[in-house]
Amino acid sequence: MKLQPRATKEIAPELNELLVRRAERVRSKTSQVDEENVLWVAEFPIGEETYALPLETLRAAVPLKMVTAVPLSPPHVIGILRFQGQIVTALSLASLLGGRGWREDPAVLLVVDPGFGRLIAIDCERIPKPTGLPHALVEEARARSTGATCEITLPGTRQVQLLDLLRLMDRRQGQDKR
Amino acid sequence: MDPLLEQLLAGFVDEAQEIYDRLTRSLMELEKSPAQGPGFDDLARGLHTLKGSSATLGLEELADLAHRMEDVVLPLRGSAQPLPGPLVDAILKSLDCWMARLRATAAKADLPDLAPSYALLAAVKPAAPAKAAAKTAEPSAKPAEVAADFPAAPAANDDTQADSWRVSTRQVIALLHEVERLREVRLRLDERRRELEKAVVQLDRLGIQAETAEARAVLLGVRRSLVGDGEEAADIVASMEDGLKAISTMPVRTVIDPLRRAVRDLCKATGKQAKLAVVGAEVSLDRRVLEQLRGPLVHLVRNAVDHGLEMPDVREARGKHREGALTIRIEQQGNMLFIEVGDDGAGLDLEQIREAALRRALVAPEDLGNLSTQQLHQLVFRPGFSTRTEATEYSGRGVGLDVVRNQIQALQGHVEVQSVAGQGARFVLTLPADLGSSPVLVVRCGEHQLGIPMAAVESSRAARNGDLRVGRSRVQLDHREQLIPLQDLGALVGLRQPEVPADGQPLLILQSQGRRLALSVDEVLGDRELVIRPLPVEVRDLAAWQGAATLARGELVLILRPDFLVVDDSLTARALHRTALETGGYLVHTASNGRQALEQLRHSAYDVMVCDIGMDEMDGYELTAAVRQRAETDSMPILLVSARDSDNDRQRGTAVGADGFLTKKDCVSGRLLSEVSAVIARRKGAA
Repeated sequence: MKLQPRATKEIAPELNELLVRRAERVRSKTSQVDEENVLWVAEFPIGEETYALPLETLRAAVPLKMVTAVPLSPPHVIGILRFQGQIVTALSLASLLGGRGWREDPAVLLVVDPGFGRLIAIDCERIPKPTGLPHALVEEARARSTGATCEITLPGTRQVQLLDLLRLMDRRQGQDKR
Repeated sequence: MDPLLEQLLAGFVDEAQEIYDRLTRSLMELEKSPAQGPGFDDLARGLHTLKGSSATLGLEELADLAHRMEDVVLPLRGSAQPLPGPLVDAILKSLDCWMARLRATAAKADLPDLAPSYALLAAVKPAAPAKAAAKTAEPSAKPAEVAADFPAAPAANDDTQADSWRVSTRQVIALLHEVERLREVRLRLDERRRELEKAVVQLDRLGIQAETAEARAVLLGVRRSLVGDGEEAADIVASMEDGLKAISTMPVRTVIDPLRRAVRDLCKATGKQAKLAVVGAEVSLDRRVLEQLRGPLVHLVRNAVDHGLEMPDVREARGKHREGALTIRIEQQGNMLFIEVGDDGAGLDLEQIREAALRRALVAPEDLGNLSTQQLHQLVFRPGFSTRTEATEYSGRGVGLDVVRNQIQALQGHVEVQSVAGQGARFVLTLPADLGSSPVLVVRCGEHQLGIPMAAVESSRAARNGDLRVGRSRVQLDHREQLIPLQDLGALVGLRQPEVPADGQPLLILQSQGRRLALSVDEVLGDRELVIRPLPVEVRDLAAWQGAATLARGELVLILRPDFLVVDDSLTARALHRTALETGGYLVHTASNGRQALEQLRHSAYDVMVCDIGMDEMDGYELTAAVRQRAETDSMPILLVSARDSDNDRQRGTAVGADGFLTKKDCVSGRLLSEVSAVIARRKGAA
């Protein structure tokens, strides 16, 4: 069989203009999501707000049903679970953040490494989606924040609360000591 | 330093430590028996090895000191008399100095001066060789000549280099964890086999069908293979566990033996006499635990000699043997280790403890009279506590038993003291010895599976209505003609309100720390051999749980601490109150006594305080009065809870400023939450 080159069709000027605009938009998106200039995060909702934690801290997402409850433990402790041979504590993120509620019952546990040498697990409504946050905005928000979260306002006024797990756990331990 | 020499030196430090320990034992034996026979040979051989090995490594000063020690000892070989005490002292102190110098050399630290040891040895060196030692070499003989006179030292170094490797602790611990994981995998293999069997049974129910016959045959083949694989995996796990246990454990003797030297030295220094008896030194324990136990045991033994034992004349006058008896008893039950350090001395002096507590402001003067004997005993573990008014070389600095307690707590254990005036004192250390598996009884409470160490379970039986004595605030069980308290396990761990067991419900009879308790559970699931692991940091402080273990399906089961079940009912009350209040939407902070509560009130503001009247140290009335005296809390709602329903208690509560009063029975019947809301509302209304 002989292959024939496909003839170029004439396109209407307005359609051409649309295609050019679309191409420009795609090009500009690529520059925004430049891998070197973004912090990759795992994004998920808590109530009406969007939260995120750095993807590098995330070790796994496991079903919440694997947890053994620990009677007499503080209210923010959901229980314990086995993860790669270790016993890890599962904590309620909503409770750690001071009572913000979930819209749905949490179904997933995120096993994370907050950076203090051991893993913990936090609950989540669903498996978070990976997304990139511009480094410049992250640094700016971190410089402003002294708490366990920093608020990042993205283009289009969408807001993301970036979690600092180390600060969150420090604050919790401080409260426990008191 | 040459890297090769550095490596050799590190090995020599370990070898020398073993020789040092052996020499110390030999010297103390030869101080009491004739300086001859295998004991003396061992001493001479050890000194010679120290000399030869240090010379080989170019440590001339150490070789010279070992040579001088030989000079002092060898002339006495064959003597019918024991080695003189001052000579043994001089050699022991010189050995200490020798070892310290070797360690400092290896650590590249400041080297201790050897001159005092030279002086000590010169002072005790025999003027001329003893007659009995006529055939032995002259003290000044060259090392090779001396060596020729007794059997050659076993080539310990050669042996160890040929047959052993130096492996870091971390690598062994990592291997231990891997074996634990392998054991869990083996358990999961069993579970997979059972699941497969279920699948075959389901296929069988469908009848023999051509479509499923092949799948059934495959499944049966896989099941057979899984059985074989499971058995082989079990053998491998058992063999690896045995091997690793041998590597990572040591006999307790290695920690106990040096204590004999400590006792001897302290007796010499204080003029006391003591004999240390050890029971159970052959028990092998995790090296990490043993290393951590060294310090606390030295503290306790020194304390027993210095504080506990009386001077020989005093003992004699009191009708005791001049030589005091020190006893160390070691016992392992399941995953728990018990070490008891006891003496037959004067016991803890309550009057001295009271004076010391006042002098060091550990207790308010007005509270001192209310402390029970047990509470007074507990004061010895407070930081800074010492009954000595002046510090000596051995005690009086107020550093001691609090450090012991902290070190034992760091090992997840606890320490208790028991004492009878004039008869002595016993310190009992209880620790988890978390290596290997131990038998656990798995029970069900509601939807929860919980484990109880079998060591604490005396027996099990079914509840019979005729055997239960149900009172207003507690239930007792008539068990073998003895009334013992009966608790609902679910209520003890805060899972539900207490329930009186139904006829036929399983009961467990537990024993811990000399107390007995009957425990009702919903179902006994059976006993298992489980590896109990510590809980993660976030929940490790909970008094109820000893750890967690993995069951066959891979799920975790919490293991209860037997002493929590048997002793601490106030904790249970707090847990129940907290559960009830949290159900009502309150954020609850708990305190175990009045002082702790006052401390918490200093830092935080609270909507309401629920307070038990019967508390140690400061009761509920005193706490309420103290809270009312502070401006920040003078209007905080306070609800008192009492075990008794008495008008007198109510009136007393109102007089000190309480807003409400409930009995524990009221709390159990669910009135706590409504009464809390009521007292808060009353205060708001008044404002």
